[in-house]
Amino acid sequence: MNNRFSKLEIIAVLAAFLGIAPVVLMILTSFKPDGEVVKFESILPKTPTLENYRHIAANPEEVPILRWLFNSVFVSTSVTLLVVTVTSLAAYALARVQPPGGRVIFTLSLACMMVPGQILLVPLYMILNKLGWIDTPLALILPHGASAFGVFLLHAFFKSVPRELEEAAAIDGCSMLRIYWHVMLPISRPVLATLAIFVFLGSWNDFLSPLVFTDSVEQFTLPVGVALFQSSYASEYGLTFAACVICTLPVLLLFAIFSRQIMAGMVAGALKD
Amino acid sequence: MIRRRWAGYLFLLPYLTLFGAFLLGPLIYGLVLSFMQYDMLSPEPAKFIGMENYSEALGDAYFWKSLRATTLFVVMSVPITIPLALLLAVAVEAVNGKRQMFYRIAIFAPSVVSVSVVSLIWRWFYNKEFGLLNALLAPLGVEPIGWLNTPLTAMTGIVVMTLWWTIGGPMLVLLAGLKQIPAQYYEAAAIDGAVGWRAFARITLPLLRPALLFSLVMNLIGAFQVFGQPFILTGGGPELGTRVAMQYIYQTAFQFYRLGYGAAMSWLLFLVIAVFAAFQFRMMRER
Repeated sequence: MNNRFSKLEIIAVLAAFLGIAPVVLMILTSFKPDGEVVKFESILPKTPTLENYRHIAANPEEVPILRWLFNSVFVSTSVTLLVVTVTSLAAYALARVQPPGGRVIFTLSLACMMVPGQILLVPLYMILNKLGWIDTPLALILPHGASAFGVFLLHAFFKSVPRELEEAAAIDGCSMLRIYWHVMLPISRPVLATLAIFVFLGSWNDFLSPLVFTDSVEQFTLPVGVALFQSSYASEYGLTFAACVICTLPVLLLFAIFSRQIMAGMVAGALKD
Repeated sequence: MIRRRWAGYLFLLPYLTLFGAFLLGPLIYGLVLSFMQYDMLSPEPAKFIGMENYSEALGDAYFWKSLRATTLFVVMSVPITIPLALLLAVAVEAVNGKRQMFYRIAIFAPSVVSVSVVSLIWRWFYNKEFGLLNALLAPLGVEPIGWLNTPLTAMTGIVVMTLWWTIGGPMLVLLAGLKQIPAQYYEAAAIDGAVGWRAFARITLPLLRPALLFSLVMNLIGAFQVFGQPFILTGGGPELGTRVAMQYIYQTAFQFYRLGYGAAMSWLLFLVIAVFAAFQFRMMRER
């Protein structure tokens, strides 16, 4: 192995440091008492304290962070399950059953992938309002179900699966649904995992939908809760950062475990077209 | 066999339902809405008013100001993001094995953090009285600077923060593009004496064009829709200098409940994005 540092690697080291440093600072600062945050003297907390976390845990009416955590977990998990189910069924049909008009549906989905999601915000709000879903988790879950990205990703994978596998199953008298369930899904586990993690992350970090589609504090997800909570604690950075850490830790853990899949999902859209 | 193919629609049904209800439906509904007066707070019923929302937007100084702020953000961020992402991709690609994986993870890590957390961290960095930046500058004898107190420095602050947050995505896309270039090309070029910069200009850049185009267009579309960062970091201030189009649309539609007008401005923003994206496609194709 080449152990020599090249000039280019210095750039990489610097970028990696700048990438990680703010996150580490946030975590360290969340263990500082307020006095130390306001008067910055050292990176490490001099008198490390759990006071910020204790304050948040002790005041659930003031800062219902556990409630937001629960909402975030519930919403993101539901969106993930929904997307994986809906798009794998659709992609299977488009790749293999090829119903009449399938091409049109596929092209239309791809075209809509290019439409900036935010222009849908106002009409989506009105539709959700008519359905009576505003300020309920449904408003944060169902609109994300029709993921064109998911169809696109899985369609490409299903196309690459050798047909012999299904034909063997069909000869054995398997119905389409059973082929989908017993043949297609098991061999697509890696790509399904990529999709699931990617969708989970996107949903976890979604800021605009919960901001617009929820009104009451107990319906917020973490990103909105943390951002709005901050406005009432503008100068108490220790507290704010403790809340930020709670919001970020689950994602960082996921990223630490599944970094390969997440980064693969990131480039999946780019390489296929 | 025919029956079998029609049965495909059973598999497509959930997708088509959601697609129609929450994507295609709102897209068309939004267009209809943009031609209507629909104020949730007024007792008047919604009514069709033709192009009035659009002509109001074109004469609305605040809308223009918000478009200017958005454009400033795009012009400041996109031309830095893509070249820097390319530089990082090249730097990371030059390293092998485990270290490369580490750099990729470290540079992409900020992208998995939510926009509100990102903005709150940087809000502390930029704070005038007890922010990190001023604390680091103080030993050098620099007076505390109000980074977010003038429109231009505030926008710069938003751009730098966004760069930190989003550089990982295009970096990964370009890195994947670099990895697809066969090593033989470089070997052949080296025999002809093309190494270093010349190999980069003659082989890397042309072959990377699809990946560059993709990251450029995606970055541009994203930048025009910027919302969360200024919304949390500056709230659109000072002097509305960082109130971008999406924030103005958000306030019009969801604080003043003028939904028809909000929908019309959304379509105008979409139009601007489409024009810029098409323009970039052409430029990259022709060269």
